Formats: sequence, C-alpha cells, structure tokens
Amino acid sequence: MAAHLSSDDFFTRLGSLLEKTQQKGHGAVYLTQKRLTFDNDAASPEMVADDPLWDLHPPNPLPLIMRATDGKSQSRDRTKNTEKIKISTIVQPDDVETFYTRYADVCKAGMQSLKKRDRSKRKKDKKKKAPVAGSSGETKKA
Amino acid sequence: MVYLSTSEEWQHRSALLLQARPTTARITTKYKIPNLDAPKYQKPKKRKRDGEMDDKDAAAPKVPKAWLVLKTYDPESGVVLKFKTDRAADVGRLINGLGRLGRHMAALPVKDEAPLDTITHGDASNDHVTEAAVPVPKESAPAPTDAKPPQAAGGGGAGGKKKKKGKK
Repeated sequence: MAAHLSSDDFFTRLGSLLEKTQQKGHGAVYLTQKRLTFDNDAASPEMVADDPLWDLHPPNPLPLIMRATDGKSQSRDRTKNTEKIKISTIVQPDDVETFYTRYADVCKAGMQSLKKRDRSKRKKDKKKKAPVAGSSGETKKA
Repeated sequence: MVYLSTSEEWQHRSALLLQARPTTARITTKYKIPNLDAPKYQKPKKRKRDGEMDDKDAAAPKVPKAWLVLKTYDPESGVVLKFKTDRAADVGRLINGLGRLGRHMAALPVKDEAPLDTITHGDASNDHVTEAAVPVPKESAPAPTDAKPPQAAGGGGAGGKKKKKGKK
C-alpha cells in the first residue's frame, strides 16, 4: 500500500474519486476514520502498561487515520483489481478541526447524487399551514 | 444490522462506543450510487400491462438516487451502529458529527460548544416531561402529524426540536 498522503493530496484525490463515481453514474466510496495506533512510536510505550484499559486515558492525544477507497478489490470474475483506489492520510490532533472543515466541503461538493432539498414542496406546506392557523384563531374568538 | 432511526441517536451511541473502545472502534462512511443496470435493479415490479409500463420507463430514464450510510463498528465487541440517509442536506451536519467523534478517537477533550451527551439527554427528558405533564388532547393530535412533512423537508435535526416546541 502506498504511503499516507498529505491532507491536501488526500482531499484532491478524494474529490476526484467522488467526481469519478458521479460521472460513472454508479459506484461507492468508502471513507473510514479511526485512531492511529499502528506504526506510532509515541503510542507503543503506553501500551506496555499493565492496565488493560490503557487506551481510555492516553496521556497525549493520538492522531487519526483517514482512509478512502472505491471498494473495488476484485473485478466481477474474482480477479484482483490492480486499479483499486485506496488512499489514506494521517490527521494530527491539532489539525482535526481544520481537517473536518475541509472534509465537509469536499464531501458536500462531491456527493451530488443525494436527494436535494425540495423547496417547492415546502412552500406548498406553508400555504396550507397559514389558513389552518387563521381558522383556529376564529374558533377561539367564537 | 438494523439502522438507527435518527442521526442524533447514531451520534450519541457512537460517542458512547468510542468512549468505551477508542482504539478499536472505527467509523466508515459509505457513499453509494446504485448501478441501475445491475440485475438487482432489473427485477420487474409490475405484473399487469407490461407494454404500457415499458413505454413509460423508456420515456423517463431513471436517475440513480445515491445514499449515505454511516457505520460505527468495533471489532472487539462486535458492536455495529448504522445510520442511513439520502438527503444532501444531511452531509454537512453528519461530517460535523464525524469531527466530534473524531475528537473522541484522538483523545481530545470534547468541545464545550458541542456538549453532545447533555443535549441528547436533555431532549429525551424534556420529551418525557412534556408528554407526561401535558396530556395532548386527541383533537390536536393530527396537527403535529400534519406538520411533519415540511419539517422533514427542511432538514433532519431541527425537526424533532420544532415538534416539541409546538407541543408546549
């Protein structure tokens, strides 16, 4: 597996992955986030501690690993897919905030096939609501 | 695995799971656009008047509707929490939630402005209080149900809260 990307590269690649799926008309994008505990020099001495619940209160914040893939490990005839897209990046604790802000932007821009907000329906309902409120007022007066 | 009905519940339970298993639990977000040419979507649903229906289908080509599934999974305990949506309006909010859960993963302190646990607890207790203290008369019962569709169209999270305000 390729080395972890910088967050800039990750977002560029993720954006193109989403766009590719969109243009193809079908497909899936899998995004995973979890705590990074592998290959991390800072975390390893903490694990040695005898406390089985060591991970509940680590002395220092830990980085996160974000992965994105198109989920295509195999083609339909069950052969390994060499074209599989699989990218990852490491988010340092200090960067979590900025990372998720950009992450939200990229996802909002990329996930275009989701149902859009239906504004016309909303207007209709508001119109319906108005007379109901009026009638209830009249009954109170009576 | 069953889907949770609201994103708030998913968020809350995921936060609890992450607090318990911060190292092993992971969150996967799946964005899926179905392939309508696949055999799965080719099953004919209609039985009568095949010819007519085919004409209609040809006239209006189907547009694939994508969906988003959030899944929190902890391999150690085998817990799976899932939430599914197909609304674009949810994306920003959900990713914001992922960021908050990410803070749990990173063992960062929970931000003050987003005290998730207290919010959900507060809402739940409020709900019970209002329901118990104010027995809603049957006549007014249809009103909140009527009000549901516009709220749903307006976007997920606010819906529940608005409804409660109406009751009071």
